[in-house]
Amino acid sequence: MLIVIPELDEEQVGNTVGRFRTIIERTGGEAGEPNHWGRRKLAYEIDHRTDGFYVIMEFTAGERTLVELKRILRVSDDVLRHTIVKLPPSYAHKPLPAEEPEEVPA
Amino acid sequence: MGRRRGGPPRGGRPVKSKPCVFCKEDIAYVDYKDYNMLRRFVSDRGKIRARRVTGLCPQHQREAATSIKRAREMALLPYVVGR
Repeated sequence: MLIVIPELDEEQVGNTVGRFRTIIERTGGEAGEPNHWGRRKLAYEIDHRTDGFYVIMEFTAGERTLVELKRILRVSDDVLRHTIVKLPPSYAHKPLPAEEPEEVPA
Repeated sequence: MGRRRGGPPRGGRPVKSKPCVFCKEDIAYVDYKDYNMLRRFVSDRGKIRARRVTGLCPQHQREAATSIKRAREMALLPYVVGR
């Protein structure tokens, strides 16, 4: 899951996410379709911003994927926050009310 | 010491143990993205509720706690409510 800065528009958010997908694929992982939660209010201010675009993506990682992805996420100015979570094998794709769950998002 | 083991609970009313909500619904993974569900385990102040309040089993209380912390990191849940 990642939070992109609110200054961008939908299309730019898509491009940003596309960049990470290429990184995942280039390093031997498989990237799923990103799930856009859209622009949401943050529970607290981050860098004086009160909202951001939430994007969630499930992917599998190759050997170098995580190192590379984390490095790039950290230096990307348009990413406010990111988390990568390892999903349990039993994880089922059931949509959450209103939005959908996804995984291992960046 | 140790005289209180067993027997009826002290305060009068016997305590009935309720099964943990996650066990009851057979939920294997407590998802940090489902922040509305996690809200039930957080006080109005944003603090994580104690196991005796939430009634969760040890495993699920632990998972719920980590999920809440992940959700906080991603600004889905607040760290503090009303400063």
